[in-house]
Amino acid sequence: MSRAWLVAGCWWLAVGALHGQDARQIVAESQTRGQSKSQQYDGTLEVIGSTNKISLKRWVYQRIGSYGASKSILRFTAPAEVKGVALLIVNHTDRASDQWMWTPALERDRRIALQDRSTRFFGTDFSFEDLEERDVNQFDYKLEGEDTFDGQPCWKIESKPRQGKSSQYTSSLLLIRKDNYVVVEISNYAKDKLVRRIHYSDVQKQDDIWVARTTEVSDPNKGSRTVLKLEKLQFNVPLKEESFTLEALRRE
Amino acid sequence: MSRCGVNSCLCCGAFFWLSFLSAQDFQQRGFIETGLTVYPQTAPNDSSHAVGDALLRYQASYKVRPWLRISGALDARYDTHQQVERSLALDWQDRSLRRPLLALRELNATLSKGKLTAELGKQFIRWGKADILNPTDRFAPKDFLSVTDPDFLAVTAARVVYDTGSDSFDAVWQPRFTPSRTPLLDQRWTVLPESLEGVTLRDLGSIFPGRSSFGARWNHIGKGYEVSASFYDGFNSLPIFQAVSETDFRRLYPSLRLYGADAAVPLPWFTVKAEAAYYTSPDKQQDEYLIYVIQFERQIKELAMVVGYAGDAVTSYTPGLQFSPELGFARAVLARAQYTIDSTRSVSTDVAVRQNGAGSLLRSVYSQSVGQHWRVTTGLAWLRGVSSDFLGQYHRNSYALLALRYSF
Repeated sequence: MSRAWLVAGCWWLAVGALHGQDARQIVAESQTRGQSKSQQYDGTLEVIGSTNKISLKRWVYQRIGSYGASKSILRFTAPAEVKGVALLIVNHTDRASDQWMWTPALERDRRIALQDRSTRFFGTDFSFEDLEERDVNQFDYKLEGEDTFDGQPCWKIESKPRQGKSSQYTSSLLLIRKDNYVVVEISNYAKDKLVRRIHYSDVQKQDDIWVARTTEVSDPNKGSRTVLKLEKLQFNVPLKEESFTLEALRRE
Repeated sequence: MSRCGVNSCLCCGAFFWLSFLSAQDFQQRGFIETGLTVYPQTAPNDSSHAVGDALLRYQASYKVRPWLRISGALDARYDTHQQVERSLALDWQDRSLRRPLLALRELNATLSKGKLTAELGKQFIRWGKADILNPTDRFAPKDFLSVTDPDFLAVTAARVVYDTGSDSFDAVWQPRFTPSRTPLLDQRWTVLPESLEGVTLRDLGSIFPGRSSFGARWNHIGKGYEVSASFYDGFNSLPIFQAVSETDFRRLYPSLRLYGADAAVPLPWFTVKAEAAYYTSPDKQQDEYLIYVIQFERQIKELAMVVGYAGDAVTSYTPGLQFSPELGFARAVLARAQYTIDSTRSVSTDVAVRQNGAGSLLRSVYSQSVGQHWRVTTGLAWLRGVSSDFLGQYHRNSYALLALRYSF
């Protein structure tokens, strides 16, 4: 191999690595800026089916712990027939999260299986996996360029799950705003086919944290979409670790 | 219970709930459901073809303090087939042969402090991890008036749980016994031997155990698995029928000791859940046996499937007649599939086939919600088999059902 080729090869590797590092740093920074000790909100969901039939759901969401290793509980408050149904998510930095569902009608909790995560969550367009936190160490990132979204300049970053990370998506394309590092869109692909798009809007600053108060998830194959609006959002509320156990899931 | 006691209970209950209605940390939910079950065939002891029923269930809970929650539920029901009592008295014991017209389904106080939770009163306690049969679920008597669609009954107990997140220790003391409700003698879910056809049997009632029951369970959540061990010392909620004379009988509840374990292991392609319990009978009034379940669970998009096998091994026989649906559904392949069509519609199918082919159940149900409150459910159940088999004996009880529920 000639010296010129060697230099060119090294340069290409270095630039590639730098790009990878940049993308990773951007995502890490985005997660760091959104970090809080705890979070709580009331969520209103509008599920709009392919025939434009709309159904409404509400839940209360609570989270404790650092990003990627947090625990959260999501409890339905409407419609009446699912009132009390709750989901406990225990995120892990080194593997997929553990999830349990509490169904009051059965008076028991049930572990959600690992391969269940591509399933739509309670008839919404969210899959169980979409409710997990994406730990930065479980993905490889590549800067794909720049773009604008709602008039805001953004980084365009591709993420791919690392070997050993179980995911329904083979890749995701993230748009992250340059001014505040807020993720404004995630397009999720399965074998190059767009399967789910998540669009974040109504970005506001609260308690020094930039947050999107509206999330719209669309399933282009089904033609349906779900709009989640956050109300009564609070960060760093005094929540207790023992409120995020299987026993707590049952007793509340 | 005396009428005075019932009235006191009613007054206390009414006061209890009314005092909470204006409170902020008050939650309530419930439903009204009416159903129609149609049986194409008659049974030797039951000539009816249709059963209509209605149920109003109201549940409420109030967080009195951050560490104290009071929860309760009331049932009011009626039917066309005398499966429901006609007395207006409020029942809290769940010891009647028929379903009470008015029942206190549960009433309990939950106290929590740190990792410790105590629950006192009439409550539901569910153990086990399997979905198709739970041999370790001993504090969960059931209403078996319709054998293939049992409903759980609460128990009066004190329960203490210490939960660290990865480990939980559960201790239960049940001072007052709650029996399972067995099929009524004059209805189709009781299949009498041919030798007793035409004989008028006299039910002398039940003899309930006097002492309390105790149970303990430890559950551990590990990295990629979950495992539990449990112990129970008490009584079988399912009775043995003791013949007093040629036509008279009474119900006895044999003592029971259980050593159980269950586990769940999520694997990339499916989740394995297993549950086993070894029952001994200290008073030697019933068989001693091992009952186990292994099931494989897989989700493909909106299709959830569970396939498993339930088996048993009897280690000590005791002659006698016992109603035992647990053993009746053992030595069988059990499966369930549910497909969520969209956010409002789903369809499910349950299958149980005894390994000797002597009995089988196939049930399919379609369910659709309408608006924010209504749900319509319709289904078919097909039972086949021979009279000597637990499932097969109900081969005349295939049915179609239609139910309408309003949730609030």
